Amino acid sequence: MNPVFLFFHKTGSPPWFYKYSGKLIPWLWAIFLVLTVYGLYLGLVVAPADYQQGESVRIMYLHVPSAWMSMMIYGLMAIMGFIALVWRIRIMEVLVISSAPVGAAFTMIALITGSLWGRPTWGTYWVWDARLTSELVLLFLYFGVIALYNAFDEPRKAARAASLMSIVGAINLPIIYFSVEWWNTLHQGSSMGSDGPGIHPSMLLPLLLMATATKFFYGANLLSRARLTLLKQDHRKRWVQDLLSKESH
Amino acid sequence: MSHTPFILAAYLISAVVLFWAAMAPVINKRSLLRQLKARQARMDKSQ
Repeated sequence: MNPVFLFFHKTGSPPWFYKYSGKLIPWLWAIFLVLTVYGLYLGLVVAPADYQQGESVRIMYLHVPSAWMSMMIYGLMAIMGFIALVWRIRIMEVLVISSAPVGAAFTMIALITGSLWGRPTWGTYWVWDARLTSELVLLFLYFGVIALYNAFDEPRKAARAASLMSIVGAINLPIIYFSVEWWNTLHQGSSMGSDGPGIHPSMLLPLLLMATATKFFYGANLLSRARLTLLKQDHRKRWVQDLLSKESH
Repeated sequence: MSHTPFILAAYLISAVVLFWAAMAPVINKRSLLRQLKARQARMDKSQ
């Protein structure tokens, strides 16, 4: 068998995935915690206040990584959904549906922290500007994927419908990203433009640390959720029965 | 205007949301495993 197909065949096997993801999860949590503690220390203690926004700039270390994650996770869901639909790899369906609550959590954080940052800097918690509205639409898309999955009795049919919705909803991602360029918005432009980052290294380092930490959070949480989904879907299968027998003894 | 309440609220709400997101699968898995083990014990008893 082609080594690439062999790799997908092996990693796509639920017992294999369950076993090895369980070993990986504690490491991902550990790296997340170390990066978060160091990132928060640099962001809240070491980094200076902004000359215009004052101390409120410290919300950036939560808001920006969460907003990036909200888009990245949906993009990954669309890619995994495409693979799931085209090549019928079941583990990809599981990963799509397991990603949605994590993506929704990051989108909620991006919206709430953005709102709390907006009040002292813009003078308002919310405006219906293009960036904020398209990010809110992204939250509804996440809710839609979760609701669609739960609307079906048959899990594989449900996951395929959710995968399809993930692909269709991905049209919102370029709208979010370019909204600050296409429309006249209150929201500022990208801090990490093509001509390099527009912020001082003392603020950039904690921002990048927190952005990396959120990737590890996603990895650990995604694998935990995927393992749970596999257990729910396969609870009558032999490998789950064997697992339960092993745990009982 | 003091920015402290906004910063505190942002960090507190984010911590709650992330903690919930992290704990939900752990709690659900424990509950599912308990149910599955109870079902298996019932099946073993009946055989």
